[in-house]
Amino acid sequence: MNTVQAGLLAAVVVGTLSALGGLLLPRPARSTVVGVGIAVSGVGALVAGVAAMAGQVASFAAPDVLPLSGVVFAVDPLGGAFLAVTGGVAVATGIYGIGYCRRDRHGHGLDGRLVQTMLPLFVATMMLVPVAAGVGTFLLCWELMALTSLLLVVAEHRRRPAVASAGRWYAVMTHLGLVVILIGLLVFSAHATDGSFAALRIAGQHLSPAVADLVFLATLIGFSSKAGIVPLHAWLPRAHPEAPSNVSALMSAAMVNLGVYGIVRVGFDLLGGGVAWWWLLVLTLGAVSAVYGILQAAIGTDLKRLLGHSTTENMGLVLVGVGAAGLFASSGDLTLAGLAMAAALLHIVNHAAFKTLLFQSAGSVVHATGRRDLDDLGGLHTGMPRTTTAFGIGALSASALPPGAAFVSEWLLLQALIHGLPAGVSATIVMPLAVAAVALTAGLAVATFVKAFGVGFLARSRSPEAAGAHESPPSMLAGMGLAAAACIGLALLPTLVLPTIGAVAGGVVGSGDPVTVTATSIRLTDFAGSLSPLLLTVALVVGLVATLAAARALATRRAAREARLWDCGAGPLSARMEYTATSFAEPLQRVFDDVVQAEQDVDVTHHQESRYLVEAIEYHRRVPDRIERRLYEPVLAVMAAWGRAGRRLAPGSVHRYLGYGFYSLCALLILLVVTR
Amino acid sequence: MNAPSLFGTVGVILQLLIVVALSPVLTGLMRQIRALLEGRAGSGIAQPWRDLRKLMRKQRTSPRGTTEVFRVAPLLLVATCLVVTAVAPFVTTASALDPVADLFAVVALLTLGTVALALAGLDTGTAFGGMGASRETTIIALVEPTMLVAIFALSVPVGSTNLAAIVTSGLDDPAQVFSPVSLLAAVALIVVIIAETGRLPVDNPSTHLELTMVHEAMVLEYSGPDLAMVELASSMRLTVFLGLLANLFVPWGIATSASPLLIAVGVLAFVVKVAFLGGCLAVGEVFLAKLRLFRVPELLAGSFVLGLLAVAASFFLA
Amino acid sequence: MSTALYVQLLNLVAGAFLLTAVLILWRRELTAIIDVFALQGAALATLVGIIAVAQGSAELGAVALGVLFLRAGLLPWMLRRAAVAAGATQRETRPLVNVVSSLLAAAALTLLAYAVSQPLVELAPSPSTHAIPVGMAVVLIGFFILVTRRLALSQLVGFLLLDNGITAVGFLTATGVGLIVELGVSLDVLLVVLVLQVLKTRMREAFGATDLDELRELHD
Repeated sequence: MNTVQAGLLAAVVVGTLSALGGLLLPRPARSTVVGVGIAVSGVGALVAGVAAMAGQVASFAAPDVLPLSGVVFAVDPLGGAFLAVTGGVAVATGIYGIGYCRRDRHGHGLDGRLVQTMLPLFVATMMLVPVAAGVGTFLLCWELMALTSLLLVVAEHRRRPAVASAGRWYAVMTHLGLVVILIGLLVFSAHATDGSFAALRIAGQHLSPAVADLVFLATLIGFSSKAGIVPLHAWLPRAHPEAPSNVSALMSAAMVNLGVYGIVRVGFDLLGGGVAWWWLLVLTLGAVSAVYGILQAAIGTDLKRLLGHSTTENMGLVLVGVGAAGLFASSGDLTLAGLAMAAALLHIVNHAAFKTLLFQSAGSVVHATGRRDLDDLGGLHTGMPRTTTAFGIGALSASALPPGAAFVSEWLLLQALIHGLPAGVSATIVMPLAVAAVALTAGLAVATFVKAFGVGFLARSRSPEAAGAHESPPSMLAGMGLAAAACIGLALLPTLVLPTIGAVAGGVVGSGDPVTVTATSIRLTDFAGSLSPLLLTVALVVGLVATLAAARALATRRAAREARLWDCGAGPLSARMEYTATSFAEPLQRVFDDVVQAEQDVDVTHHQESRYLVEAIEYHRRVPDRIERRLYEPVLAVMAAWGRAGRRLAPGSVHRYLGYGFYSLCALLILLVVTR
Repeated sequence: MNAPSLFGTVGVILQLLIVVALSPVLTGLMRQIRALLEGRAGSGIAQPWRDLRKLMRKQRTSPRGTTEVFRVAPLLLVATCLVVTAVAPFVTTASALDPVADLFAVVALLTLGTVALALAGLDTGTAFGGMGASRETTIIALVEPTMLVAIFALSVPVGSTNLAAIVTSGLDDPAQVFSPVSLLAAVALIVVIIAETGRLPVDNPSTHLELTMVHEAMVLEYSGPDLAMVELASSMRLTVFLGLLANLFVPWGIATSASPLLIAVGVLAFVVKVAFLGGCLAVGEVFLAKLRLFRVPELLAGSFVLGLLAVAASFFLA
Repeated sequence: MSTALYVQLLNLVAGAFLLTAVLILWRRELTAIIDVFALQGAALATLVGIIAVAQGSAELGAVALGVLFLRAGLLPWMLRRAAVAAGATQRETRPLVNVVSSLLAAAALTLLAYAVSQPLVELAPSPSTHAIPVGMAVVLIGFFILVTRRLALSQLVGFLLLDNGITAVGFLTATGVGLIVELGVSLDVLLVVLVLQVLKTRMREAFGATDLDELRELHD
C-alpha cells in the first residue's frame, strides 16, 4: 500500500468513524471528537493529495456495486491537487469547529446529532469527488456532497427565517446543476464502452464535434453553478452567509473548487482539450464573474455575504486562468497554457487558505457579537485582538497586494495573459480586456477588504454588541492560526509549492514545467519574468526598520501625548458620526451605478412648525442583484404560472388521481403496441 | 540568481540618497513655480525640508482610540517608497534586487502604501478619516486597470514586465520610444500618476476644505514626526512616479555600466528629467481647477481607453 | 525617405488620428471639440502627405494640401462660425450615453475595427494597410458620435469624423486615390455640411434651438 492509498483510506475511515461518533456520542464529547476526527481525516487527505501530486498513483475498483462501470476510484496528480486543498481546509476547519460548535451561554450551539454527523460526511464526500474515476461514482459522490452540505446549510433554520429561503435556493440550484451534469456525462458515456473515465478518455478523442460541444456545455453549466460563476451564482451569496461559519469555510474554500475541477477534468482530460471557443466562453464567464462578484462585494455591507461574493470573484479569476490555458493550448502554445493553468491552480490553493481564514474570523465575529452587518460592527480590535489580526492577514492575502498570497497567483495570471498576445486575432482582442478585468478586480478587491477590515475591526464600535465582543475560545483561535500560517507560508514561500503545482498544470495541458524556481524567486520558463516574494518582503521589512530607526534618531525624544480627535470643536465624536460601510462604498456605488443600479430612497421628516427645519432624515439603500432580477424572476414567474395551471389537475378526488395512473399505463401500453 | 554586483549596490545607494534628499526639494520647486506664476514671492525651494525639520522636533501625539495600524501606516508608506526607489532603474539599469523590479510588483507596492494610509484614516474613526479613505480607495480601484493596461502596452514590444528590461530596450531601440504605443501609454500613465499622487485636477494637495479633500482628509490626525513621514512619503511618491515616467519613456542618460562618469551623467539626467516633469506639472496646475469627485471616473475612463488603445496599437501597427 | 522612418512616421500620425477621435468623444465643450477636429484634419493631411512623399507622387501631394485646406481650415472654420451663432448651447451636457460609457464603447469599437479589418490587412500586408484598423475605428467612433449626441453641431462633427475615417481608409488601402475621386468626395462633404448648415439655421429660426430631442415633439 503506497502513501496515497494509506492517506486516502485513513481519511475516509476516520471521516466515517467521526460521523458515527457524531451520531452516537453524548453531547459534551461530540464536537471535540468530531472536530479532531475531521482534522485527522484532513491530514490523511492532505498527505495523499501531496503524494499524488508528486506523481504517485493509486486506484481502487469494485465493478459490480453501481451501474455504469461500478465504483471506481483513481488518484492522479490533478485529483490529488484538489484532494490536498480539501484536506488542508478540513484540518483548519475541523479544529476551529471544536470550539465553534460547542454551546454558548445562551444554549445556542451546533452540537446537535444531525450537524455533527453530516459535518464529517460532507468532508469525506468532498474528498471522494476528485478521486472518483467513473461516471456513476462521480455522480454519487457529487450528490452526497450536495445533500450533506444542504443539511448543513439549513442547520440554523430555527434561529433565522432567512436560512430556510437560502436552503431552498441552494437545494434547487444544486440539483438542477446535478441534472445538467448527469445529462452531459450520460451522453458522453453513451459513446464509450463503459462509464469509467479511462473509457471516456478514449471515446473523447473520436467524439463528433456536436456531441463534444453538448457534453462540454452541459457539464460547464452544471459545474459553473457549483463554482458560483455568474449567472448561476444566485445561491452562493445566500447560502454562504446563512450557513454556520465552519460550513461556509468548507463550502467556500473547498466545495466550490470542485466546480473548477469538473470543468478541467471534463474539458482537458476527458475531452482532450477541445476547441478555442469553449475556452473563450470559459474565460469570458470568468472575467464577468470576477468583476461582478467583487463589485457586489465592494458595495455590500454584510460581512459574510461579502465574503461569499468574493468567492465568486476568485473562482472567476481561476476560470480566467483555466480559459486562457485552454485558449493557448488550442492554438498550440503549450508552455503558456501550462503557465496559465499553474496560475489558476495556485490561485485555488491561495483562495482556499485565505477564504478559510476569512470565514473563520467572520464566524468568530458573529459568534462574539451576533452581528454580521459591518454597519453595526467596528472597534473589534479591543475585544478580539487575535481575530482582528487573523482577519487582517486574510484581507491582505485576498487583496492581491504584496506581501500577500493572492499577489503571487495574480502576478502569474497576468504574466500568462500578457505573453499571450501572438496567439491569433481572438486572443489579441481578449487578452487586453482580460488584463483590464483582472486589474479592475484587483483594484475593487483592495477597496472591499479595506472596507471590511477598516470599518469592521478598526475605529470605534457602532453597537453595544460590538463593544462587548470577547475573544474566541482557544480551539477556534488555533484553527485560525493554522489557516493564517498557511496564508503567510503561501505568500512568502510559494517557491515550495509552485514546482509541484507547475508539474500538475503541465501534466494537464501536456507541457513541460511552466515555471522554474530558485531558492527565493519564481522564474517563468521560456519568457523573461521573475518575482521573489520573499526578497520583496525582506526589502519591505528592511525599509520599515530603517525608517523606524531614522525616525527614532531624528525625531524628538519626548513621549507621545494623547490627543483629542479633531471634532471641529463641537464636542466629543460619537460612533454615529463615523463613516459606515455603506457610506464608505457610496462613491463606488455611484461610479458603477449603471451596473449595480442600487435602489435608494431618502425620507425627510420636517419639523411641524416649519418646512425649513428638518427633524430626521432616513436613508435606505438596497442593492438588488440585477442579473438575478433579469434572469431568474421571469423563469420563476413562468414556473409559478405552470404551477397554477397544474393545480387544476389536482382537485382532491382520490379516484381521479388513481385514474391518472391507470390512463397513463394504458396510454403507454398502446404506444408500445403502435410503435412496435 | 546572480549576486548583487558592486555597480548595482552603488546604484541603489545613490538612488536612495537622491530620492530621499531631493524629493522635498521637488515639492518645493513645484510650489515655487506656482507661486511665481501666480505673482507671489514663494517661500523658496528648501521650504519643505524646513517644514520637515520643524515637524520632527514637535512632540508626538497619539489620537485617542487609535491602534497600531495608525502608528505603523506612515512607516509602511515610507518603506514602500524606499523599496521602490531601491529597485527601480532611476540612475542605473543594474538593479541589486532584480526579481523585485517588476512593474506589477512596483505598482502593487505603491498601492500597499496608499492602503496603509487609508486604513489609518479609517482607524481614527472620524468622519474626515473615513471620507478620505473612502475616496482614496475608490480612486485606487479605478486607477488599477489603467495602470496595468498601460504596463501591458509597454511590455508587449519588450516581452517582459521587468523594469530594467523595458528601460534597456528603450535605450537599444530609440524608434520604439516615438511609436504611437508609447505615446498613448505615456498619456494614459500621466493621467494615472496625477490621480495616484493626488495632484490637480483629481485632488488638491493644498486644500483644507472637506468637500474637496482626499489625501489631506486621511492624514488629518497626524502631527509631529508622523506627519513629517507622511509628507516626506508623499513627496517621494511623486518623485518615484515622475522618475518612472521619465525613464520608461525617455530612458537616455541612464547609466548602463559602472564607469563613474556614466553614473554622474545618470544622476544628472535623472535630476533634470524629474525636475522638468515636475515643473511641467506645476505649470499645468496653475491653469487647472479641481474636478468634481464624480467627474474623476470620466478622466480615468479616458485614460483607460488610451491605455487600451496603446495595447491595440501595439498589434495594429506592428 | 528610408522605410523605417516612413513606417515610424506613418504609425505616429495614425496614432494621432485615433487619439483625436477619442478626444472628440471625451470633451464636452463644442469649441474644444472643433479644435480637436481641426487637429484631426491636420493629422489626416499629414498622413496623405507622408504617403505622397514615400511614393514621390506630386499629385498625391496636391491632394494632401487640399485635404489640409478643407479639413483643417475650411470645415472647422464653418463649424466655429456655426457654434458662435448657436450661442448658449456650447456644451454637450447630457449625451444619450454618458461619457464614461461612450469612452468604453470607443475602446470596444476599436477592437472590433481591428477584428473586422484583419482580412483586409492580410490581402496586401504593408505598413500602410496595417493602419487600416485605425481608419475603421475612426469611422465607427464617428458613427457612434452621430448616434449618441444631442446637439446638431456635435452630430455634424460625428458625421465629419466618419468621413475622415473613410478617407483615411481610402488612402491607406489604394495608395493612389485619384485626385478627381478625392475632389468629388470632398465636394460631397462640403455640400452636406452646407445643407445641414442651412437646415440648422432654418430650424433655429423656427424653433429656437437645435437640441435634437426637441425635434421629437414635432413628430408627436
